[in-house]
Amino acid sequence: MSGTPLLTIHDLTVSVGGKQILTGLNLAVATGEVHAIMGPNGSGKSTLAHVLAGRPGYEVTSGNIVYQGRDLLALAPEERARQGLFLGFQYPVEIPGVNNVYLLKAALNAQRKERGLPEVDAFEFLALVREKMKLMQIEDSFLSRGVNEGFSGGEKKRNEILQMLVLEPTLAVLDETDSGLDIDALKVVAAGVNSLRSPARSCLLVTHYQRLLEYVVPDFVHVLVRGRIARSGDRGLALELERRGYDWVSGAAA
Amino acid sequence: MSTLLADRIAAQHASTLAALPPQLAGGARRRAAMAALATAGLPGARDENWKYANLRPLERQSFTPAPLNPGAAAAAAPAELPQRLPGFARDVFRDGNFAPALSDPLEAGPARILPLAVFESGSPPAPAHAGRDQRFALLNAAFATDGASIAVPATAAGPARIELLFVASAAAEAGASYPRVELRLEPEARLTLIERHLGVSDGASFVASAVAAELDRGAALEHYRLQELGARAILFDSLSATLGADARYHLRAIGSGALAARSSIQVRLAGERAGLAFAAASLGDRQQLQDTYAAVEHLAPNTRTEETFRGIAAGRARIAFNGRMVVAREARGADSRQSLRGLLAGADAEIDVRPQLEIYTDEVSASHGATAGKLDEQMLFYLLARGLDRETAQRALKWAFLGDVVARIEPPQLRQQIETRLAAQMLGGSTFREFL
Repeated sequence: MSGTPLLTIHDLTVSVGGKQILTGLNLAVATGEVHAIMGPNGSGKSTLAHVLAGRPGYEVTSGNIVYQGRDLLALAPEERARQGLFLGFQYPVEIPGVNNVYLLKAALNAQRKERGLPEVDAFEFLALVREKMKLMQIEDSFLSRGVNEGFSGGEKKRNEILQMLVLEPTLAVLDETDSGLDIDALKVVAAGVNSLRSPARSCLLVTHYQRLLEYVVPDFVHVLVRGRIARSGDRGLALELERRGYDWVSGAAA
Repeated sequence: MSTLLADRIAAQHASTLAALPPQLAGGARRRAAMAALATAGLPGARDENWKYANLRPLERQSFTPAPLNPGAAAAAAPAELPQRLPGFARDVFRDGNFAPALSDPLEAGPARILPLAVFESGSPPAPAHAGRDQRFALLNAAFATDGASIAVPATAAGPARIELLFVASAAAEAGASYPRVELRLEPEARLTLIERHLGVSDGASFVASAVAAELDRGAALEHYRLQELGARAILFDSLSATLGADARYHLRAIGSGALAARSSIQVRLAGERAGLAFAAASLGDRQQLQDTYAAVEHLAPNTRTEETFRGIAAGRARIAFNGRMVVAREARGADSRQSLRGLLAGADAEIDVRPQLEIYTDEVSASHGATAGKLDEQMLFYLLARGLDRETAQRALKWAFLGDVVARIEPPQLRQQIETRLAAQMLGGSTFREFL
């Protein structure tokens, strides 16, 4: 199952506002793999997602991250995105006045430019967006609205996945995309994620609950406790966590 | 006002009158305005509402109107003027004087447009209720040699549409320019008015413009004010409007030109249910100053105001917006909303947005918000995380910031012209169409 190494995190420690959040994290993701990162609140799950995307304010104090053979931490956020790294935000930002379609198109063209491809054809682009919108059950009015402007929580999450489907990332990091979704929306989001699964793509699912993993079945499950991975396993680990609670792992890691 | 400045203005006024044709020189308006100005004086740096305005040019300015020069007016290349807007009558004024050769009055609908010079003696003196912050309107009334007087009767045939272009061409040494507009909307009348100030060169013109509007019961005025003067121009602009019952005033102002521009606005909601929707945007770069003072008075029950301001200061520009709202005791059920936001786009730029509320009745609904700061970091990161480069992301966010004002410009061709200009000024020539 495992392909070539895509992402290797070695002994990563990260501070936010002087407080150490990640405390020596190791993780290896190969192409084609889906990894779930689980853990109790405050264990550092979202920090990991943000550090991967390059959000300012996260200070890497030691360790390194290699992505596609390159030093990821040396790349600006926009360069990481163009190299196929996608962050699905836990709290997608509303940007009134910047149109959804504009953002999708600008993002896609930035990536294509990086790969030496011409700008996407306007008609083909719109056809592509409409097709993905259908899959994500997003209404037509979306096309004329500002980015996430006035969207409900569920709509914002579906929009994240829509963006992911249009951009077809090599590595998707989904930060609690399942939080706040009802079961129908969760299924739609899961269908979106599954539609992108391929031997050429990898996915890091950051989640608090194993519920999403019933629909997007991961190859590996890791449990993050106090800033490092305390336990790894297959899907069975998520089920066991569900039964026994995080205290089971937290206690073992202490 | 210093005695020196007052004496100089009075002397220049006397010589102006002497030089005018007799039918213009004798107007009651001029003499009344000059007398009022002599009493009130011009604002000084210590006036609280004028602390951002650049008053220094007054010390050396000649107030004598720039000479009437019909030859020059005819010679101006129409190509320098913005494209005609379909359906709008156009009247062009050069240095404050009507330029028939450049104008195309066409169909102004039911409106009557008259150059003020024709019947100056009949036009009223400055309104008695004009506040102290309208003192530059007195200067205008004392010196203006021409202007547009527009009267609109009610009609079922849709709004009258008029574009007034005020072109400043004379350098300050040659004299001042006094654009002047008097508007009267009869009951239920409708008018869309575009008032545009521009410079044909980057000459350092001195412009003191004044607009006085009266909206009778149920009248509706959609008023676009575009300030696109040359890079070294100085502008003092005064606007006063009085609204009768059920009158609606939509005012959209976009200021991006001039070296220093001060706009003093006074709107009186005098009749029940009168409503003002005022949206303004100021853009400054380099050493530009854009200063707006807007006083809105709710004087009758159930009057409404919605005020929106967006300012972007880059370079070493300074932008100020002082929005004063007065709700009088009689204005029960008044509704007043303000949203004032400034964006700092340069390390040495300065923004001051200031809401002021004075409420004298309990039965009022008022909200105001004022913020000034840099681009939102969360929004910026979201766009970067999608692969947009930093400059494009910043441009998109700046464009979006102005959207609250630009989106309210309704005539499509006008909006397009404004967008093109704003894009050229703040997006460094990159196309804005892609943002839409």
